[in-house]
Amino acid sequence: MTARRRGLLRFGLAMGAGLVLLAVVGPALAPFDPTAPVAPQLAEPSPPGAPFWLGTDDLGRDVLSRLLHGARISLMVGLVAMLVTMVIGTALGLAAGYFGGVVDVILMRFTDVMLAFPGLLLAVALVAVLRPSVWTIFVVIGLVSWTGVARVVRGETLSLRERDFVLAARAMGAGHGRILLRHVLPNVAPTLVVIAALSTSGTILLDAGLSFLGIGVPPPTPTWGRMIQEASTYYRVAPWLMAFPGLAVLYAVLAFNLIAYGLTDEAKGTP
Amino acid sequence: MRYLAGRLAWALVILLGTTFITFAIVFVVPGDPARVVAGPRADAATIASVRHELGLDRSLPAQYGRYLWRLAHGDLGRSYANRQPVATTLARRLPATATLAVAGLAVAIVIGLVVGILSAPVAGTWVDRTVLVGSLAVLSAPVFWLGMLALYWIGFRWRLVPLGGAGTFRHLILPALVLGIGSGLYYARLLHTNLQGVLRLDYIRAARARGVGPFRLYTVHALRNAALPLLTVIGLDFAALMNGVVLTETVFHWPGIGRLAFDAVLALDVPVIMGTVLLSAGLVVTTNLAVDLLYRLVDPRITLR
Amino acid sequence: MTVRKDRAVTARVAALVLLGALAAGCMRDAPLDWPARDPGSQRGGVLRLAAPDDVPTLDPALSYDSRSWTYQLHLFETLVTYDDASRIVPLLAERWTVSDDLRHYRFELQPGVVFSDGSPVTAADAAGSIERVIDPKTRSQGAEYYRGIRGAAAYADGSAPHVAGLQALDATTLVIELDEPDPLFLDKMALLFASVLPIEYARRLGDDFTDQPIGSGPFVLREWRRGERLVLARNPRYRRTDRPFLDGIVEYAGVNSELAWLKFLSDEIDLSGIPTADFPSVIRNPDATGTLVRGPTLVTNYIGLNCQMPPLDDRRVRQALNYAVDKDDIVELLNHRAVPAKGIVPPDMPGYTAEVAGYPHDPAKARALLQEAGQGAGFTTELWTQSSDLDLKLGQKIQHDLADVGVTMAIKQVAWSVFLEAIRQPKTTPLFDLAWSADFADPSNFLDVLLHSSRFDANNHSFYANPRFDGLVERARTMRASAERTRLFVDAERIVVDDAPMLFLYHPISYVMTQKRVHGYAIHPLLPSRYMDVWLDPEPGQGASAGS
Repeated sequence: MTARRRGLLRFGLAMGAGLVLLAVVGPALAPFDPTAPVAPQLAEPSPPGAPFWLGTDDLGRDVLSRLLHGARISLMVGLVAMLVTMVIGTALGLAAGYFGGVVDVILMRFTDVMLAFPGLLLAVALVAVLRPSVWTIFVVIGLVSWTGVARVVRGETLSLRERDFVLAARAMGAGHGRILLRHVLPNVAPTLVVIAALSTSGTILLDAGLSFLGIGVPPPTPTWGRMIQEASTYYRVAPWLMAFPGLAVLYAVLAFNLIAYGLTDEAKGTP
Repeated sequence: MRYLAGRLAWALVILLGTTFITFAIVFVVPGDPARVVAGPRADAATIASVRHELGLDRSLPAQYGRYLWRLAHGDLGRSYANRQPVATTLARRLPATATLAVAGLAVAIVIGLVVGILSAPVAGTWVDRTVLVGSLAVLSAPVFWLGMLALYWIGFRWRLVPLGGAGTFRHLILPALVLGIGSGLYYARLLHTNLQGVLRLDYIRAARARGVGPFRLYTVHALRNAALPLLTVIGLDFAALMNGVVLTETVFHWPGIGRLAFDAVLALDVPVIMGTVLLSAGLVVTTNLAVDLLYRLVDPRITLR
Repeated sequence: MTVRKDRAVTARVAALVLLGALAAGCMRDAPLDWPARDPGSQRGGVLRLAAPDDVPTLDPALSYDSRSWTYQLHLFETLVTYDDASRIVPLLAERWTVSDDLRHYRFELQPGVVFSDGSPVTAADAAGSIERVIDPKTRSQGAEYYRGIRGAAAYADGSAPHVAGLQALDATTLVIELDEPDPLFLDKMALLFASVLPIEYARRLGDDFTDQPIGSGPFVLREWRRGERLVLARNPRYRRTDRPFLDGIVEYAGVNSELAWLKFLSDEIDLSGIPTADFPSVIRNPDATGTLVRGPTLVTNYIGLNCQMPPLDDRRVRQALNYAVDKDDIVELLNHRAVPAKGIVPPDMPGYTAEVAGYPHDPAKARALLQEAGQGAGFTTELWTQSSDLDLKLGQKIQHDLADVGVTMAIKQVAWSVFLEAIRQPKTTPLFDLAWSADFADPSNFLDVLLHSSRFDANNHSFYANPRFDGLVERARTMRASAERTRLFVDAERIVVDDAPMLFLYHPISYVMTQKRVHGYAIHPLLPSRYMDVWLDPEPGQGASAGS
């Protein structure tokens, strides 16, 4: 079984590498300007065929070019939002698990309140408050997703707190900060990596969802979620318009899911 | 009993916290509900009079206090958009969302149990690997995209189900399926993993030695221990399910509170926003409480902390 | 024991699902029954419609949207209304006089008209209905139209119990006095805000009037199940016997436009708009699907330019933007469901002139103008827009056109309420995406309302101020309709087009598809859909028609 997990991990890493490659060189490979109406017929999406290998959309733009440009922004949003999530969640989880007592109770109750909050609605409301831009999306997705990370990190920290090396460090008079950084964090790190991968798949999906509801990164940036949203009214007459960006999202999310799965220690079960 | 009282008290605190947070956010939003109600063609005088009528010119704490007071009396106010009582609108749309959520959950549980159990005996084979990758692929796809694909093929091309809307069982099939399949496959994975662990335990080996057949082995003996952790996951997943409900309701034009809430946020229809948030939070809190209690009843060895 | 509990849980969940499904099944509409049609007769039948959501309200004082107006038009009547050519014609008032100074109006109501509950329609009802609109407690968006009536302000601030300028001399005579001359007052009386309601009843019901409306119109409310359907039935006490033809109208709620189209194709409803995705194929052969009804609108879609925010404060820059945008492309993107706009006043508006040339697509000229204005290096700006698909689509097209001449335009999507608030602020929105639809068939409704310099806090979001323009428009305010008045507006329009406080985009054209059996449906530029003239193909000898 470990072999299988290793195999899937390798596959996931390969997919992830492919994604990063696409994000880096994709825009250079695009045959057309993703924002330019280039189709001869502007208002009617045309099916795949030379020179528009994935067809054109309802504004006459080349789908392939948009898809390639979208890779960069979708990956970036996923990763940066994941960082925000991880930073907030890890900080709170560490604090709650390490200090325990009142701090733990307060932080965990705060987490409970945030969990009860319908995440998508919170995201929608927050986007309405702040200027709709790429930066807003990073922050908003991060703010909505940290609770899961916090819980897991807290659990890990709780069990680590009682371990010998930590107790020894305390006995020797090490400060809390030092203990956290040099003893707790490195031991939590493996779990953090898995959670990071899982988080990324979550943030990419959430970003696609927000774009689909119409409140993601503003145009003309061709994010995949927005492409699906723009295609939704044409799904009867031009089904390919939504198929390609959807497959792209699937690919990206699957890559991170495979990485997370491959890294999971089986004895602990899925985080 | 004391435990129950404690939990209920805490649930109330959580609900109060959510009203506060929502209230804070909604009033930081750079928009004026009075303006929306007065309309785009109103002049300053009309807007001012509307603002006064709506009580929006009072201080924020006063408005919050007023809202809580009314809430305690069961009055959720009237929508700014169409002046309908929020409580009535919510009550009208809640059954649709509840139906969808429950149906989605049922689909998820069924898929979880079936796929989880069926994949246990073939663990380690290429079949298992295919199912695994397939499950991960479905989990990786955006739920609204799956919904649109399903709508296209099953609804439009093969004409097996109506193309959106609600009203009959046929309308429910596709949204419930789309909503539940992601969670279902996730549960299946969990079950599969847990079953592997449980199947190695002594009492299973003993049962197998006694001659118990493989089917009974999995379902009767192994399942009860493997499925227990699933309960908590389902409880936690309910909140995520509510998120999926908003997207699913949008794709299938299902007349529930998810879509209602979203439209209200965009229109700054404060009473409706507060109402839906409270309802959502209440549902999540209630479900978690129910799951915790169920867990406790089912396995009294476990103390919940 | 644990196992049984597991099974019990599953069983309980399954039961819940079944109950839920049953409940969902019970959400099915109970079928309605309608009277049988006489074979060969034009009369009878039920028109089936669909809409994405509920009608907001049936109370005429409370709405400012065409969906609500459509049904209010059939439940209530105003004193006057528009004919097909947008001229004022009698309705509840059989005649009226207007003083030369445009301040005194005297309406004579038709005698013997009753509301659907049998009570007589009186001038007091007419006066009270308008008073209700002025009353601040009603929060009516139409209050501004009647504030010009003498004594309205005193009534509104509570110092007078009634509006002095509204007088019911007797049961059928209503006299209205205005503070200032108003050539448009008759148009204001044609607005649905001025619908005549049984005022005692309406006051008594307050917020609930929308659920139990009573009016004198050709239809009454038979049933309103919110979220499901709205049903109107013929008013047995309606004063005309030759109208309406239909026995009833049913509108199903919760049907989005795409679904409505599909229902139309399967003959579940009688009327539908055409989704953008299907329009090109439908327009190639409309008769294959049904009867295509086309109608111009008195609407202008434009992008406002804030004349106080540099560099848009330079006229040449604004003109450059107008030259930069390819309006023909935009019309093509709209599937030709529009005509390019040369100015702000729509072509079908009485008093429109073709004299004004407008801005053709000329990127070279645009760049030259920008160079002249010192913006040869280009500049960055942002377009504020709402989140509708169409706004975004066109926004992206315009973004591309402007990039061609060196202008970088970001698109900022915001919620409607935020948008409204922002465009009111003087230095906030450089470009904003709006449309204006005429309230009255008068050019002042565009020129004066949108662009007079006194309207900064109302609808002049471009913060445009031109004293010469102001002068022309002010003179027209107190003049009766005449060639001279029209001339003033033509000159004003010319100034506006030259000053370019907006990016003039297009005037939409309405398209509706009806089943072949539907007749008499026409699109009116000012009034919402009128179904009182609609009739369905006679049945050739049959029983009760299917109404659900």
